Amino acid sequence: MQVVQQQLQPFTWSDAAYLAPEWILIVVAIALVILDLAMPRRMNRTVIGWLTLGGLLTSLGFVIWRLIDMKGAPLPEGVNAQLGNTIRLFGDSYRIDGFSSLMKIIFLAAAVLIVLISIGTVRSKEIPNKGEFYYLLLPAVVGAMVMVSSSDLITLYVGLELLSITTYILVGMRKYIVQSAEAAFKYVVTGGISSALLLFGISYFYGASGSTNLGQIGMKAAQAGDLTPLMYVGFFFVLAGFGIKIAAAPFHLWAADVYQGAPTPISAFLGVISKAAALAVLFRIVQNVGLLGSYTKPIADDVNLAVLIMAAAAMIAGTTAALRQHNMKRLLALSGVANAGYLLVPVGLGLSGLHTYVGEFIFYLVVYLFMNIGAFAVLSVISKAAGHEELKGFGGLYYRAPWTAVATIVFVLSLAGLPITGGFFGKLFILLGAAQAQNYWIVPIMVVTSVISYYFYFGIIRQMFMRSTGDDQEIAVPGTTGIVIWLSAAAVVALGVMPGAVMDFVYKYFSIAADMLFLYL
Amino acid sequence: MNTMFSEIAWLIPLFPFVAFLLLLASGRSGQGLGVTIGTVGSLASLVLSILVLMEHMSDGSKYYQDGFKWIDLGSFQLNIGYEVTNLSALMLVVVTAVSFLVNVYSAGYMKGDERISTFYSYIALFTFSMLGLVLADNMLTLYIFWELVGVCSFLLVGFWFTKPAARAAAKKAFIVTRIGDAGLLIAILLLFWYMPDHALDFVRIENVFEGQSGTVAAGVTTLIAILIFVGAVGKSGQFPLHVWLPDAMEGPTPISALIHAATMVAAGVYLVARTFDIFQASPAAMETVAYVGGFTALFAATIGIAQNDIKRILAYSTVSQLGYMMMALGLGSLTGGIFHLFTHAFFKALLFLGAGSIIHAVHTQNINEMGGLGSKMRITAWTFGIGALALSGIPPFSGFWSKDAILTTALHENPVLFVVGIIAAFFTSFYMARLFFLVFTGRPKGEGRIHESSLTMTIPLIILAVFAIGAGFVETPWNNTLGEWLTGAAGADHSGSGLVMVVSTAVGALGIYLGWLVFVKGTIARDAVSSRAPWLVGLLERKYYIDEIYAAVIVKPLRGLGSLLNAIDQYIIDGIIAIIGGTAVLLGRGGIRLQNGQVQTYGLITVLGLVILIIAVVGRRFWS
Repeated sequence: MQVVQQQLQPFTWSDAAYLAPEWILIVVAIALVILDLAMPRRMNRTVIGWLTLGGLLTSLGFVIWRLIDMKGAPLPEGVNAQLGNTIRLFGDSYRIDGFSSLMKIIFLAAAVLIVLISIGTVRSKEIPNKGEFYYLLLPAVVGAMVMVSSSDLITLYVGLELLSITTYILVGMRKYIVQSAEAAFKYVVTGGISSALLLFGISYFYGASGSTNLGQIGMKAAQAGDLTPLMYVGFFFVLAGFGIKIAAAPFHLWAADVYQGAPTPISAFLGVISKAAALAVLFRIVQNVGLLGSYTKPIADDVNLAVLIMAAAAMIAGTTAALRQHNMKRLLALSGVANAGYLLVPVGLGLSGLHTYVGEFIFYLVVYLFMNIGAFAVLSVISKAAGHEELKGFGGLYYRAPWTAVATIVFVLSLAGLPITGGFFGKLFILLGAAQAQNYWIVPIMVVTSVISYYFYFGIIRQMFMRSTGDDQEIAVPGTTGIVIWLSAAAVVALGVMPGAVMDFVYKYFSIAADMLFLYL
Repeated sequence: MNTMFSEIAWLIPLFPFVAFLLLLASGRSGQGLGVTIGTVGSLASLVLSILVLMEHMSDGSKYYQDGFKWIDLGSFQLNIGYEVTNLSALMLVVVTAVSFLVNVYSAGYMKGDERISTFYSYIALFTFSMLGLVLADNMLTLYIFWELVGVCSFLLVGFWFTKPAARAAAKKAFIVTRIGDAGLLIAILLLFWYMPDHALDFVRIENVFEGQSGTVAAGVTTLIAILIFVGAVGKSGQFPLHVWLPDAMEGPTPISALIHAATMVAAGVYLVARTFDIFQASPAAMETVAYVGGFTALFAATIGIAQNDIKRILAYSTVSQLGYMMMALGLGSLTGGIFHLFTHAFFKALLFLGAGSIIHAVHTQNINEMGGLGSKMRITAWTFGIGALALSGIPPFSGFWSKDAILTTALHENPVLFVVGIIAAFFTSFYMARLFFLVFTGRPKGEGRIHESSLTMTIPLIILAVFAIGAGFVETPWNNTLGEWLTGAAGADHSGSGLVMVVSTAVGALGIYLGWLVFVKGTIARDAVSSRAPWLVGLLERKYYIDEIYAAVIVKPLRGLGSLLNAIDQYIIDGIIAIIGGTAVLLGRGGIRLQNGQVQTYGLITVLGLVILIIAVVGRRFWS
């Protein structure tokens, strides 16, 4: 294996064009800041929400176009077809490849849905600076996009902080609510711990390999020799640092408090985009550094095992803690912890042959995106009608808003992992993957925690049908939130009926050699 | 080769499905809306089915298949697809035609029922499932729709769920057919196991089993064929799983006509016809099918004589006629079986709808309480008479030709079954004569004014009567259109069919004459048999005590086993569950205690977690 040393090349205009999705979001964010300043105070800021949506959609269009264009473009001279047309920028610290583009599509789609929920349910009474609320979402998404595109740990850290700092502000947006401020404070502190752990880990990687580039670290790890213990330290600290962002046990305790205090769309943002970005990056680090460098050495096994232990702990802690939870946001936070566990399983399964479990990972992530955002959308409607976020707000929902209740059933069934929803196939694929990788001990944990989770998921259904709040008023669903609910429900069912389509799509654009192992043959 | 309509054949089941969704969405609002949506949906399917059939008739045998990959699970993939063969094209028309007429008829029959919209949505769902079953191109898709029609049957039999009898019948229908379904499922699993490439589509099944290539061992082939037949026995009400079909008559009468006479119960016959190559590869399976069919034909016909409920008589007659079809298939005559299925669908739907018209007028189902209806309900009487003659196998009605085809085959292949068939034919014409004469002739018994049903009910009767007369001419001893078209081979041996025609007509006429003597003329006393051999009549009335035997031999021991298992469930399984649940709750409590809202605790736990993780993972390297 030969490493091609890249000369630092000047940044050209054509390079800038590759970054169009990121530029667009940044430009729109700045423009909206100015617009917000220039707009008279009494004007409704909802228009900023729509402009944010427009920016996200444009960016999404560019990402998809780039992905298809990249796949179709002729390969440069002498490049192995397996490696595809990865675009590497800034001295190989930023890469646009199949995996990062797929993840960006997920982030942008999730952000679009979240903005739609916000347009329907965010009110100035609660969040005084509505304009700020919308345009701060944009740099947060850019942060997530930078994270998945980075092949250098420094770039990665910059993206992570961009994402984190903007979300700290967003969590505290409900200025007049004490819980919101408390949540923001807690999130800043735990976020700080996360950054500290991460930087500590990165410094050990650098110390052991002399580089911050992931590909380089992977190469060096193979020849680490005496420095292997340093690699171990690096790994575990990086794992813990991301563990906090992912909200995997035992690093998940902040999640319930923060989700509860944050505005509902921001809870959804933390639950889907922040989590997915950290998971995707962790996937790359584990696969690239842990496996390429040393798949013959115990370090690969140990890293995988550590990830799987974290997954198992998250599944168990998330489901059991949710059993006695009556606040819907805390419940969804804990359900998110359990789901983080399921999502960590493909990350920790490692390589079997030349197969990696990216398809399973992305499929479940897509399902999770829709079912989770759908559930948060329903919650945002109900909490607005009920004035609180307790489980009993769902009481008699079937009689007060039958169609919303039907959509909720779809989300709950999917979260519980029952057919014919996407959640069923998502969990099934991961289970089959675990069995195929002969990691049999994780399988019963997945199954048992799924079964236990029925208890609290079906509690929601029971509330909807068999309880009454004594309030028979019909619940009005705002138009845009209704669109999100129905789009998500349709997507969850579609994924349950035609799971093959997403898998095919992923494997069409993903190549293990180029996207995970960063091989430059 | 023109396949324009076959290419869009997948639309045929979708019309009723869309109707079902619309009805589901509209809820209980709009009674008339339900009727319109359901009827229009089935009419659209009917039109397209006829176009597909015409396309298939225009230039010989044609085949069209299309589908898509559904799920890829490792080494095998599941497909969903449809195929249009001559057989399925014919079935499409039968199903959609009867479904459409039943939709029209129900507008009158179910008028005023407050759940009429629900009724129509169930019919639409059933039509969708049945059409899906007909079009399925592989065993798994077929099985999914097979179960769906079972569910629809359950829903429709129990439609009047406030009646305890209807609830019990729905449950019985579901459970008994499930026994058969289990057989079919095992057969599919065996096929999956033994077929090359785990293929489950009919084309490859045909290729593998055709001409006994030996790809699948003979014993396994027989086992698969028998298990498929078990599924067919359950669905088609063959002995010994016939017990649910007469009870299913608790459902609304249009449903009995659609599901329990013309379409769903014929699904078993269709299944055997569809997998006919597997059966032909196993002589033992063929014999089983033939003997079970022949026995059921005779057995059910004898029970029909002693029943007093008009719908039950027709139900036993359905069981008996399905027995004929099975017998034909077992004797190797695909044409005979399908031909009888085709004619039977029309004349039996006619008889049931006629019975519905009668019940609608007199509000009873007991034929001893009816009488003299012929003069008051002329259309019903005439059309019912045509149906009865067709069923009795009197020329030139359609049932005569199809029964003749089966009996001719039987004469060639197996004289014993030929005799059985002839005797069953005699009983058939006798019980139909009894039914007809008791209901339509003689003196009126009930009070109140009785008048003919409305046009929405009589027009379907007239249309079906036309089919009951004419449908038989597609295949006669001197005209092999249907047989050649279906099997692609030259017609079967018709020698001796003259004799068969004479004999079967003679026994049919004899049965009617005897019925006339007993029930109209009175030359022979009605209690001629019951006074001399009361045990025989009792045996027939109690349906050979089959239900009682099942209750004693199967249900009771199962109940005992059930309570034993229940005890295990309660004390052992529930105990384990309680322990697991308790552990989960305890864990949760611990988790919540950690979650005390203090961010410094969170930080501490993060660090502790990291340390434990490192010790656990790295430490094992030192200990081992």
